[in-house]
Amino acid sequence: MTMTDEPQQKIEAYVNRLRGRLRGMNAETAREIVEEMHSHIVDKVAMTGGTTADVDAVLAALGTPEELASQYRVDDLLSQAESSRSPVRILHSLFRWASLSFAGFFVLLGSLFGYFLGIVFIGCAVLKPFHPRTTGLWVSSSGGHNIATLLHGSGGLQPGARELLGWWIVPIGLVVGCGLIVLTTQFAVWCVRLYRLSRVSTHGREAA
Amino acid sequence: MHPGNQNSDSGDKWEVQLRKGCLELAILAALWGRRLYGLEILRQLEDDSDLVLSEGTIYPLLSRLKASGLVASEWVESDAGHPRKYYALTAAGEARALEMAAIWGRFSASMTKLLTPLAKGNR
Repeated sequence: MTMTDEPQQKIEAYVNRLRGRLRGMNAETAREIVEEMHSHIVDKVAMTGGTTADVDAVLAALGTPEELASQYRVDDLLSQAESSRSPVRILHSLFRWASLSFAGFFVLLGSLFGYFLGIVFIGCAVLKPFHPRTTGLWVSSSGGHNIATLLHGSGGLQPGARELLGWWIVPIGLVVGCGLIVLTTQFAVWCVRLYRLSRVSTHGREAA
Repeated sequence: MHPGNQNSDSGDKWEVQLRKGCLELAILAALWGRRLYGLEILRQLEDDSDLVLSEGTIYPLLSRLKASGLVASEWVESDAGHPRKYYALTAAGEARALEMAAIWGRFSASMTKLLTPLAKGNR
């Protein structure tokens, strides 16, 4: 390896790492980001002596490819989440976010729980007319509240269990279930937005 | 932690938040009446202000402004042998810049008035 090749190889290595970290985003968007950063690096290096140390300084000023990519990716996740408002799209974004950070993992867990509970309530409301004796909200003998079997015949009710709400589970289940799904969606979007703001702030502080 | 350090840390944090909050307006202002590529915007901001803490934050912000429809971009071939991505304000971007500049004018005038006693060193 000659000294003249080394700066070039460093630039290529940076750009390739960035390309790898942008995987999962829209291909055309990712290609544009990589091309723009490559153009920035080449222009900035051309303003210097073009030595390995100059390239190192230019790349350091940009931050690592991982930091740079995560800013774009979180923006991408946020815009997808904001533009769709669909729980399926949001969950898809959260699964990708969970692969990027612990914060994303915990938001995914919380959101899965919220959506699951919402679906259980809606499921109860929908199944009640078909399986009135085994679908509903029950108080078990131990005093804890639980939503009993959704499917007819699966499991058995505890002896002494008492049904609450009765047929009211149909409207209440629909309202509470839909409400939980809307609230969980808003919670997820709020978390993503908060995380994006805090990341930009931390990045700025490190670079200051 | 020493109380003095804690104060200095909150001061730094406040300054970072303040700079971040102003960066969007600064970029829109830099693009007023002309089109520039990323490095030119950076140079403009570095020459006229000390708003930019990290070069890596400018490009994702430009991409966000583009997604919001405030700026448009196009690739233009350059003498350097590679294309550059130029940004320009859209009509919505111009309107937003004017609106933000008006808010900034009112805000900075009232803050300057409030801070007058501090500038004189009065207690």
